Amino acid sequence: MKMHTKTIQLSSLAIFAALLVGCSGPQVRYGDAKAVETVNANYGSTDLQMIAEAMTRSLLQSKAISGSKDAPIVTLADVKNKTSEYIDTRVITDKIRTQLMKSGQVRFAVSVSEMQNQTEELKRQNQSGLYKGNTIAKTGNMQGAQYRIEGSIASIVKNTKDVKDVYYVFNLNLINNESGLLEWSDEKEIRKTATR
Amino acid sequence: MQLIQKTFLVSVGLSLVCLAGCASKPPAAVPEQAIVGQVPADPPKNPVISAEALKADSKSIAVTDIYFKKEGKNLILIEETRHKTNNSVTTTIAPKTIEVDADKADASALTGGANSSAFPVKFTNLADPKATAPGTAPVITPVDPGTNSNSASNVETQSQKKSGYESKMEYGELRYLANPIRGLLIKSGYKVVQAKPSTVTPNQGDEYFDIVKRIKAGDFPDANYVLYGVLAEISVVDNIDDIPGTKSSSQQVVLEVTVDFNVVDTQSTQIVASFVASGEGKEVRIDGKDNAFKPSMAKLMKLASLDLAEDVRKNLAAQNFITNNPGSAGYERNLKRRLDDDASTLKVYK
Repeated sequence: MKMHTKTIQLSSLAIFAALLVGCSGPQVRYGDAKAVETVNANYGSTDLQMIAEAMTRSLLQSKAISGSKDAPIVTLADVKNKTSEYIDTRVITDKIRTQLMKSGQVRFAVSVSEMQNQTEELKRQNQSGLYKGNTIAKTGNMQGAQYRIEGSIASIVKNTKDVKDVYYVFNLNLINNESGLLEWSDEKEIRKTATR
Repeated sequence: MQLIQKTFLVSVGLSLVCLAGCASKPPAAVPEQAIVGQVPADPPKNPVISAEALKADSKSIAVTDIYFKKEGKNLILIEETRHKTNNSVTTTIAPKTIEVDADKADASALTGGANSSAFPVKFTNLADPKATAPGTAPVITPVDPGTNSNSASNVETQSQKKSGYESKMEYGELRYLANPIRGLLIKSGYKVVQAKPSTVTPNQGDEYFDIVKRIKAGDFPDANYVLYGVLAEISVVDNIDDIPGTKSSSQQVVLEVTVDFNVVDTQSTQIVASFVASGEGKEVRIDGKDNAFKPSMAKLMKLASLDLAEDVRKNLAAQNFITNNPGSAGYERNLKRRLDDDASTLKVYK
């Protein structure tokens, strides 16, 4: 009888512990955002960081930027995604923009994708009649960008039964808006191979 | 042993003093600006207006209002009714004049142009004897359906309608563009004198622009120089464009003024500066077309006149008539002149 009671007690404890573990859900932990990500061969965070880092360094060394007396005004144009997978190219240009801004060698004007907000703000201040005259950000005083940054990302993917080989090439250009001249251009190549 | 310790301490102390001395080097003395808030003037480089001449004796200048010449065309309809009886002929002529723009007249029914529906009557130069000669089809149009010959009463009535245009030239002065230019010349140290207004005579011709004639006639009695401008073109442009990347559009209304300027020495009648300047007044309205935006012409004119004055300043400075940096000398000269010359000026004695 004593033995039987002990067995019941132990079983209850085990079930309780199992329930506790079951209710606690998936485990969450923070990782290193800069750590190399090799989950699969698709475009990932490490690729984004490598591209942004390489392009920023190269762009800051270009004659157009480093040789400029004042920090030139630049705007971000589209980066075309020519790969077969979905890549948010805006994240790449935004990351490059952040790093360039931190360098202090470049100033950015609003890009086409940000113009809606800019226009609405100017309209609100200038045309609503609600604002004090000398505090209004006046229409017609936006600064035009000397350069625009645009580029593309393309890939070549090859698969066998056991191997997947992906080659990415990211190309970025700095174009003088007035002259139309290509002032700087660079590319970053990435090769990733996944085996089973 | 104590001596070594003392020597060591003294050396360390000296080193520290030296280090501190190097670290706290006083900043190099900056030469203090002679007069705070006042910038010394650049000397004028125009060979005609030397710096010495401008300094020693303030030069005076008259600035005329901006001359203009406008071509207009009057459309004239003449209805002539002739009553003929046995003994006499009575003629009644009823002219009717309609003023139209020159470009509208040019684009009218003469060529079957864009305004042919608005102005269906053919425009013909009435001053041209060939065009107005009797029997010339486009000019004389006997169209009166009521034209009849009443043989019973032996009275004959005949109607004729003529149509055509008369070219006319209008001369005058725009009175609201030159004041900012006068202001900038005052800032530059010139004494700006009032010019006599120009009068237009009947059948005025291009001699209206003869500034030498006006100088000799004494229209600018106290002026060493006369700055006069002739309006080359004035236009209003209204454009609506989409703003890329937005659902909005921008309406831009721009008033543009282009003026041909000359500066003439009143003694020698030599032209000492000559240039074309332009000014632009612009108003931009986001989504203006959606709410039928009407720009303020008064505001556009003010902006255009200020912009024109700025362009005049650049051109006068480029030709060394005024300095890019008038500094305080001009202000001082003008203040001194006002205090010295004008008895009615409020004077403050210290």
